Amino acid sequence: MGDLVAAEWLKLRTTRLLHGTAPAALLISLAAVIGSTLAADRAGIALESTRGLRRILPTTGTGALVVLIVGILVSAGEYRHGTAADTFLTTPRRHRVVLAKVAVGAAVGLAVGAITSAACITGAAALFRLRGVTFPFDDAEVWQSVAGTLAYTTLFAVLGVAIGTMVRNQVFAVAAALAWVGIVEHLLVNLAPGIGRWLPAAAGQAILRTPLDRLLGPAAGAAVLAAFALVITAAGLRFTVTRDA
Amino acid sequence: MQALTKRYGAHTAVEDLSFTAPAGAVTGVIGPNGAGKTTTFRCLLGLVDPTGGRALIGGQPYRALEAPRTCVGAVLETTGFHPARTGRSHLRVLARAAGIDPARVDDVLDVVALRADGGRRVGGYSLGMRQRLGIAAAMLGDPAVIVLDEPVNGLDPEGVVWMRRLLRTWAGQGRTVVVSSHLLAELAQVVDRVVVIRGGRLVAETDIGSLNHVVVVRVDRPDVMVAALRASGAGHELRADGAIAVRGREPSEVGRVAAQAGVAVIELARATPGEALEAMFFAVTGDRGDG
Repeated sequence: MGDLVAAEWLKLRTTRLLHGTAPAALLISLAAVIGSTLAADRAGIALESTRGLRRILPTTGTGALVVLIVGILVSAGEYRHGTAADTFLTTPRRHRVVLAKVAVGAAVGLAVGAITSAACITGAAALFRLRGVTFPFDDAEVWQSVAGTLAYTTLFAVLGVAIGTMVRNQVFAVAAALAWVGIVEHLLVNLAPGIGRWLPAAAGQAILRTPLDRLLGPAAGAAVLAAFALVITAAGLRFTVTRDA
Repeated sequence: MQALTKRYGAHTAVEDLSFTAPAGAVTGVIGPNGAGKTTTFRCLLGLVDPTGGRALIGGQPYRALEAPRTCVGAVLETTGFHPARTGRSHLRVLARAAGIDPARVDDVLDVVALRADGGRRVGGYSLGMRQRLGIAAAMLGDPAVIVLDEPVNGLDPEGVVWMRRLLRTWAGQGRTVVVSSHLLAELAQVVDRVVVIRGGRLVAETDIGSLNHVVVVRVDRPDVMVAALRASGAGHELRADGAIAVRGREPSEVGRVAAQAGVAVIELARATPGEALEAMFFAVTGDRGDG
């Protein structure tokens, strides 16, 4: 299994996929945090207050959308480029390939989440100082937010890998995932919050502690998103093992 | 291959197909496009599950092999590469996943003469270079069995000659080599055994050595010659180019038939392996060379 995880990491490293996507995830998050900080300031909200932090910090997770796409490309990309057959010739026990991809996806999600969190908090702290406010590093809100971003980004990466395993058409998988998160769930959360709050992206917002009163709590959100990732991974495993390649 | 059958819904791609490929020989699987060659290979390699029958390698199904890359090397027509990955990295990834010594990467790049281009991205490779990279990947584990799907497709004449030499070298090293092609003549010069598939069924399995009694004759009035041959009971095909392929006769016998029929012989020769294979193919599939 160690060899397979190393091989999957080598696969990812030897394409240019992360060169563009990792910085993109970072920049999107940073822009979102700067934007929300400026907006909170303009709205007259005390930045260092709990209310202020809750307006600002959850946007750190915005870059996870990019990580979701990376996850999809890690698995669906094998079908896109015709390397899947070769991969399964090397490893006929195909479930191991899927598990190795999940492991690499999770590691990438965690790493991007960590780098993004560090950059966003540094950026927010700099903006706070410009406004003459000390960033409250000792506030539990800050570290709960960091933990949330790490969990959210990691789970979204795994979710992406799982989706790409099920939906082998890479372009369709990316388009469908973005449409789901950006449109379908958005509508459901607003129109039918009783259902919408249980869906993956809404659960992700709950993990990030986004201040919307329709959402689940952070722990429940994490459990729901993890359950989605687990179920889709299990379905993807079964699909990959039983379907002709 | 034992009574292999694969159905896709109502469509039967391969039906009750049985044949064997011996070690130290090149076995050619030939048949028109859509005959089931690729499906047969995919079943053999554990990429698709057969509907019935078995495909075994050294007595074992592919998926049961402990270290498949060191047993079987395969290049399928659909084998692809990530365009942004370099040729060397492609091989490094495979070696890593298969637990093969990374030092083999440069060895196999040498075998296919790609070492100088190993650092370039595959996106910039020519079709022939991709074919060779696929072969390098197949050779990574130094396998005893090599399976190539349409290996001469897309190769330039030089590449075809190179490929033939490689196939012979492998067979000479005692490996089991299985190649498919829809181009009869390309394979005839290198294969030891021929398996002919049509419509998913086996139509012939024979050693190439037993095919040699084919004579190609060109005459001024082919229709008269065809009638004379029919009367003499010799199997024959009138080809599209106007020549007639005669099976199971010596050139002298064919010359005598021509003389008795009163036609002028323009050309008379023992068939090349390619022509012999073609004649056999059309004889067993029931197609006419002129059809």
